[in-house]
Amino acid sequence: MHWLRSHKELRALESKVHLSSDSGASADPCAASNGIVIATEKKSSSILIDDSVIEKVAVICPNIGIVYSGMGPDFRVLVTKARKSAQAYWKIHGEYPPTKVLTQEIANIMQQATHSGGVRPYGVSLLVAGWDFPRGPTLYQVDPSGSFWAWKASAIGKNMVNAKTFLEKRYTDEISLEDAIHTALLTLKEGFEGQMTEKTIEIGVITVPSQAELEAGKVEGTGRYKPTFRKLTEEEVRDYLAL
Amino acid sequence: MEVSFAMTGKGYVLLAADTTAVHSIIKVKTDVDKIKELSPHLLMAYSGEPGDTVQFAEYVERNIRLYQIRHTYPLRPPSAASWIRRSLAESLRSRNPYSVNLLLGGYDTSTYTPHLYWMDYLGTLVEVPFAAHGYGSYFALSLLDRYHDPEATVEEGLAVLRRCLDEVSKRLVVSPGKYKVKIVDKDGIREVEL
Amino acid sequence: MSIMQYNGGSVIAMVGKDCVAIASDLRLGVQSLSISSNFEKIFPVTDRLYIGLPGLASDVTTLREQFRYRVNMYTIKEEREIEPQAFAQLVSSTLYEKRFGPYFIEPVIAGMQKTPSGSYAPFIAATDLIGCLNFAKDFVVAGTASEKLFGVAEGLWEPDLEAEDLFETISQTLLNAVDRDAFSGWGAIVHVITKDKIVILSSSAFISPGLGLAS
Repeated sequence: MHWLRSHKELRALESKVHLSSDSGASADPCAASNGIVIATEKKSSSILIDDSVIEKVAVICPNIGIVYSGMGPDFRVLVTKARKSAQAYWKIHGEYPPTKVLTQEIANIMQQATHSGGVRPYGVSLLVAGWDFPRGPTLYQVDPSGSFWAWKASAIGKNMVNAKTFLEKRYTDEISLEDAIHTALLTLKEGFEGQMTEKTIEIGVITVPSQAELEAGKVEGTGRYKPTFRKLTEEEVRDYLAL
Repeated sequence: MEVSFAMTGKGYVLLAADTTAVHSIIKVKTDVDKIKELSPHLLMAYSGEPGDTVQFAEYVERNIRLYQIRHTYPLRPPSAASWIRRSLAESLRSRNPYSVNLLLGGYDTSTYTPHLYWMDYLGTLVEVPFAAHGYGSYFALSLLDRYHDPEATVEEGLAVLRRCLDEVSKRLVVSPGKYKVKIVDKDGIREVEL
Repeated sequence: MSIMQYNGGSVIAMVGKDCVAIASDLRLGVQSLSISSNFEKIFPVTDRLYIGLPGLASDVTTLREQFRYRVNMYTIKEEREIEPQAFAQLVSSTLYEKRFGPYFIEPVIAGMQKTPSGSYAPFIAATDLIGCLNFAKDFVVAGTASEKLFGVAEGLWEPDLEAEDLFETISQTLLNAVDRDAFSGWGAIVHVITKDKIVILSSSAFISPGLGLAS
């Protein structure tokens, strides 16, 4: 492979990531006033696959979660690197990284793959959702080129164009987390093939801590802050789908 | 035994260093110049482990010169002091550190102020009105506490320096015989006969 | 003679009511010979955060430069000022990085920490030379006069001192402790930090002519 990848080449790769149907990925995030939701469909190519072990929404550290569209193995590698980076940051500063810093860290890893010899770029687009003290809840998208930017609501993956149009109509700055979860599910429903169940949907949420929680500080017993990012359990997803 | 002094005055810095080269109990030379002229307005008196001293002084001299060639203007005294300190501090924790003690006197042509720095082989750096290294410091510092005047003219400064050298000659068992004295001011560097 | 005592010098920090104070002497010596009476060991990190670095003078400068570099990088990368708590961790990890060939410094940190409600709370901390953190609620001490500082501070400090009283308390504690220590003294400098003001006072008390502080 040529050592210098053209801008065109990367754009082609990006559009491939977004539109690829074989990976079947699609992720819809929605930033609400009191939280963020990231949701994705997970469909396996065969009914024989045990889909309970497939993970498309990943916890990076207690305040950050990410979801992807594109190549699963590349995502897994990035998750490992991102988790390591978050722990390295914790070791130095005694707190987990702000969303922007972690996003930058991942973006740098992805950018380096665009000009390092002997490697190909990461075949994924990411959505990074997090909460931190200086900036509050923030949502970023990272592309294979290593470029990243912040969204209020967006979609990546195979149905992203329609999904984004849908979100444009539904999104308001005042939307609550509960409404955002429903909006995200409705957005996914737009282009969904097959049945939406707790087995085929994954949801992660950022919950903005209350003033009281912040002032209380560390949770008694654990000696840690209450995590602001968590994945919804299958039961919770089922309840949201039932509504 | 090696002795060096320095002091500031009104618009100048004076540096004095003995001129003897010693091998165990033998004086092998009596006309050694231990004050390097690093740049048009910067002087460095060095002492310490024979071998290390000249080696390190030349290393500093060449790097200060290189800076001047690259940038067309020389490093100002505070920056030069900072760079030299860092070299010594890095050397201290290396496999074979330089054992060199320095007095750095310079005139900053941008702010029209004289600067004097005391530095040791550990990388300790401090700006001072007067300073000394070696056994001479035990005699000279107390004299300078009493007689130093930062507003003194060159003549007055040299008179105080004379007192220091005389005291060392009188009281120190292993006192050196001869000194080289240099001065740096707005006009640059010149050697002074005491 | 330990390398920690080679150059001499001491630092103390105290908590007050909505304020903190950090103070040090100004001596730099080589064993019992005084070289300078104007060697500062306390440095600003942000507008509300100071660090004191008593110990080997060479490492005072080296660490000051190291922390300045790391804090500048942090400020640029994070687009915010570092908070005392995070800075204390940074100090600790910087020192522990050199666990088996340490910097001979026992840092003292004092500042006002931003709280979730947007106000500021006093923060002090100290570490040993390999970065073991000690978060204290009252006062922390370090340097060649540390034992004396402990004793005097134990007697003079009380909770919820206003800025003016805290200044008086820390000054008297430092001055009386360093007077009994041959390796500390030759002038002092005191910083009092409140949420919106910093007062720096240097004392030229007990300084003889010479060593640059004649007037």
